[in-house]
Amino acid sequence: MVFFSYLFSGISLGSVYAIIALGYTMVYGIAKMLNFAHGDIIMVGGYICYCSMSYLGLPVLLSVLLSMAVCTVLGVVIEGLAYKPLRQASSLAVLITAIGVSYFLQNAAQLIWGVTPKIFTSVASFPMPGDLNSLGLSSEAVVTIASCLIIMVALTLFVNKTKMGKAMRACSEDKGAAQLMGINVNKTISLTFAIGSALAAVAGVLLCSNYNTLIPTTGSMPGIKAFTAAVFGGIGSIPGAFLGGLLLGIIESMAKAYISTQLANAIVFAVLIVVLLVKPTGLLGKAVPEKV
Amino acid sequence: MLKVNDLNVYYGAIHAIKGVSFQVNEGEIVTLIGANGAGKSTTLNTVSGLLRSRSGSILFQDEDLSHLPAYKIVSKGLALVPEGRRVFLQMTVEENLEMGAFTQSGSLDPALEQVYAQFPRLKERRRQVAGTLSGGEQQMLAMGRALMSSPKLLMLDEPSMGLAPILVEQIFEIIQNLHRAGTTILLVEQNAQAALSVADRGYVLETGKVVSSGTGAELMASPEIKKAYLGG
Repeated sequence: MVFFSYLFSGISLGSVYAIIALGYTMVYGIAKMLNFAHGDIIMVGGYICYCSMSYLGLPVLLSVLLSMAVCTVLGVVIEGLAYKPLRQASSLAVLITAIGVSYFLQNAAQLIWGVTPKIFTSVASFPMPGDLNSLGLSSEAVVTIASCLIIMVALTLFVNKTKMGKAMRACSEDKGAAQLMGINVNKTISLTFAIGSALAAVAGVLLCSNYNTLIPTTGSMPGIKAFTAAVFGGIGSIPGAFLGGLLLGIIESMAKAYISTQLANAIVFAVLIVVLLVKPTGLLGKAVPEKV
Repeated sequence: MLKVNDLNVYYGAIHAIKGVSFQVNEGEIVTLIGANGAGKSTTLNTVSGLLRSRSGSILFQDEDLSHLPAYKIVSKGLALVPEGRRVFLQMTVEENLEMGAFTQSGSLDPALEQVYAQFPRLKERRRQVAGTLSGGEQQMLAMGRALMSSPKLLMLDEPSMGLAPILVEQIFEIIQNLHRAGTTILLVEQNAQAALSVADRGYVLETGKVVSSGTGAELMASPEIKKAYLGG
């Protein structure tokens, strides 16, 4: 029975990773950059939701929506101010900027909210049927997993069925050709940051609901893990981010349970290294078919 | 219809296009020929907005396009089939065509039907990912994609590049069909023979300058051009 408890917490953790990884992978797919500040958007999402519930006394759902809205704006502003001027710059310059933005967000959060951990009241706490409870399935885990599935399905439909979604895929393949089609590439990149950041807010709220504490660096480790998950699944691939996130969460949870709590992170990254040695494009990443 | 006047384009410090002027009248096929590096593709990319000119004007139906971004130019009625085709390899044939109609509102079906009528092969492969198509099919897809915006002026950059002779013939046949159906065409080609034989008029580019121009027949008959570009 303990096994199931670890499995559920692994899937739940993995779902959070997957939601974050989706943001990483979409931004990478289109802007071809690693947005290392993505993890810190999660933290901002958590704080906004916290403030909205504790200080403004807004209901849970409204608080989550507010947090998504703030993060969406934040993501678009960061992209416009910090990354857009670097569109023609080397990828190293963009990477360093992203790391700078990450520190900026952490320090800004420290200034505003201080270093003392905030106690985050779970937004997904409700009584579970007894037999599920005895299996170790928490209400937070149920909500987290369900959110991840809904997001995954919605995003897949968006990218494959809608005009803007298809335009995103076109931009991710060839920005020049996309412009020739009449697609505004800058607007498409902004939209991607908007979606990724809104998802990060959801991930932040879910993460804090699972762990109940919130500090300015709350987002960094999950951010790095989710980045790992995105690479693990094949960066640029939406199903890859989902699969990579879930597997990473399960591996981490199992490693903590059965091997060593201290070594869990090392094991997670070791698995990544092995996968990349065997399949450098990640689990679902594929080399572009090209035939001339 | 299109009037390019004294166009100057730089790549950094390199002066790639030096005061090029030419025009395309409604209903014509006009070709720009010249050796590799003469500035043919640079000219097309500048007209379509992918590159910026430093000076000169690009008038399309009396409107200056030289300061518009590429994504706004399509809706003016210009479409470019870029060099190397540049179809979206991971998207299906039909999705590629849908992207071609990105600026269009309303149902895509009439435009799709037209393109499929012109390129039956694309219809057979509509659900296939473009990366699995042959080079000739990809060229057809690139042309079909450009036609989805119902352009008034279709610009083609080296449509015959890398294709087997039989496919080159097919592509030129299609160009003539499109022309007969009323599309004005600006064609850039290294295959001067084929290009001049379908063109109403042509311009010869050499190191970023127009060095001669005339009707297709005139240019084909000119001894210098024969010597330089037609292998005779």
